[in-house]
Amino acid sequence: MEVSKEKLIDLYRLMVRIRTFEETVGGLYWEGKTPVFNIAAGPIPGEMHLYSGEEAVATGVCAHLRPEDAVAGTHRAHGHLIAKGVDLKKMMAELFGKKTGLCQGKGGHMHLFDAGLHFGCGGIIGGGIPHVVGAALAYKMQGRDNVAVSFFGEGAANIGAFHESLNLAGLWKLPAVFICEDNLYAISVPKSHSTSVRSNAERAAGYGVPGVLVDGMDVMAVYEAAGEAIARARRGEGPSLIECLCYRYRGHFEGDPQTYKPAGEEEEWRKKDPIPRFAEKLIKDRVFTQADGDRIQQEETAAVNAAVEFARQSPPPEPTEALLHVFA
Amino acid sequence: MPTVGIIANPASGKDIRRLVAHGSVFDNNEKVNILRRVLLALDAVRVRRAIFMPDYYGLGVRALDGLKLSLAGSFLEMPMLGDDQDSTKAAQRFREMGVGCILTLGGDGTNRAVAKGCGTVPLVPISTGTNNAFPYMIEGTVAGLAAGLVAARAVDVERVTFTTKRLEVHADHQLVDIALIDVVVCADLFIGSRALWDPARIREVVLARAQPGSIGLSAVGSSLHPFDARDSTGMYLQLGEGGPSVLAPIAPGLIVPVAIHSYQLLSLGSEVALNSGPCTVALDGERTIEVGHDHRLTVRLTKHGPRVVDIGKCMAEAAWAGVFRSIVLPGDDEAQGRRKSHGSQQGETH
Repeated sequence: MEVSKEKLIDLYRLMVRIRTFEETVGGLYWEGKTPVFNIAAGPIPGEMHLYSGEEAVATGVCAHLRPEDAVAGTHRAHGHLIAKGVDLKKMMAELFGKKTGLCQGKGGHMHLFDAGLHFGCGGIIGGGIPHVVGAALAYKMQGRDNVAVSFFGEGAANIGAFHESLNLAGLWKLPAVFICEDNLYAISVPKSHSTSVRSNAERAAGYGVPGVLVDGMDVMAVYEAAGEAIARARRGEGPSLIECLCYRYRGHFEGDPQTYKPAGEEEEWRKKDPIPRFAEKLIKDRVFTQADGDRIQQEETAAVNAAVEFARQSPPPEPTEALLHVFA
Repeated sequence: MPTVGIIANPASGKDIRRLVAHGSVFDNNEKVNILRRVLLALDAVRVRRAIFMPDYYGLGVRALDGLKLSLAGSFLEMPMLGDDQDSTKAAQRFREMGVGCILTLGGDGTNRAVAKGCGTVPLVPISTGTNNAFPYMIEGTVAGLAAGLVAARAVDVERVTFTTKRLEVHADHQLVDIALIDVVVCADLFIGSRALWDPARIREVVLARAQPGSIGLSAVGSSLHPFDARDSTGMYLQLGEGGPSVLAPIAPGLIVPVAIHSYQLLSLGSEVALNSGPCTVALDGERTIEVGHDHRLTVRLTKHGPRVVDIGKCMAEAAWAGVFRSIVLPGDDEAQGRRKSHGSQQGETH
């Protein structure tokens, strides 16, 4: 697969943007929540699930998508939406619960919605998988060559919605792509304790859907596989499943003591960190220099800091609007 | 004590060829089924120990679970990395332990890893996929019988095995890796999803086998000048316009014309310099080495590949020797006694 220098640098920049956003939020989240933890205190109320470590997956997949292609993220969806091209200021403001946020501050970090990018996510595990099948069915009925992509974890692949969705997508040959992010743990439960097969690529085959397993810490491995899956969906050849083996550096939620992770495990995975690994390769191949990489990091840090400042300065929703734009 | 080492790769059969071609998905539950058939076959020919490489899916544990066997099943005690180094280390351990045979479940990549550690221990390689040239597409029962016969020395091991070739990849006169079937220079700069499927991205190919009926780059060579694992021959091809074009199945269901700029046969010991530059080098179908601007690679054809059991020949030897009629194997005192006590009643002569 031939990839231009510009595209390679874009991929790197996106991963840096996601990591910078997540690590910044990881710091801000604790403002006001120590020494006594109060989930409502500080600039970012509510729970927080961060994506650090898994950047290569969202980046490698979304690089092939158009704004009008639908994406359903997970409860850990910052990376998915950033890779889809969100305005960082609106997203950060949503995390802060501000009126300028994507959902006017009423969705928070787990319920991000961007109509322009055809993006949604939620806290129900696997809840986005059937939504994507619905979007894919709509595209097919409308005769459009758009694609619907669902991100979900390996734990979500054990719920009924996953199986029902793959069945219908396979039956109707829908333009859906299922991206399973296997980060080893469903909250704290390892896959070996919850799943009867090693790889969900095997399960896909049971529904007539081609399934592949790729290194989710390698952005080019994900990029290649996702490119092929999305292209065949656009050609009307039906759905695909890609399982990406990856690792989340932070807890399931901020504050998770992570006692379920064996000693030394994270260190081993950090050796495969997708960002320095990719930077090293780009420098070696003379795609960019270390100075270019440093400049990209500075630019993305500035962009994230500007988003934080925007969120801090934005007003909260008016109390009189509390019942507007909500279903229940 | 007849002992067989078993290396089963839980990760094989799930790469991108399921998207870009029509590769089969080989699920791990089926691998467990194959292993159960292998174990029953080993048991039937009086193998006493089967030792598994441990793996994260627990293929061996699941295969042994609930199976009534006379043989003892056990596992190597070794740290697992979850990559091909596990197979290499397991093969080294089996060689050091003196097992009579190593049985593998996997593809060309699995066997390449095993070949780095097994020395001259005979291999019985079972293919778990449709894109392999090295392992056999064979029923596990028969493969298990052959592995057991070799491990128990019930057949003449020299007669039923053959030594394979290998391609040795050198950088600056240092051996950096090996391949059992092919070394391919690909224009892609990234290892990425590893597999090869687009002939337009392939520049050069070095083959240790060019077998008609195989799938992959080996099939390209076979359309020009067929040779198999035992021939003292190799081939170097440059792809591109300027020479013949051949139709070849380079992946399952992917039968495409491949333009050959030039090709030459190689003899054992000969070496070719690759016109590498920035590229990736695929070993046995998987992009493995990322080559930078200043690196130059050479490939040497040798006879230093693993020793492989010719399963058909092994089974025929055993049949002609009456092994299956007597069910007696060397060192099997219990069975010898049983045969003596029942032989006259059954009218058997040996």
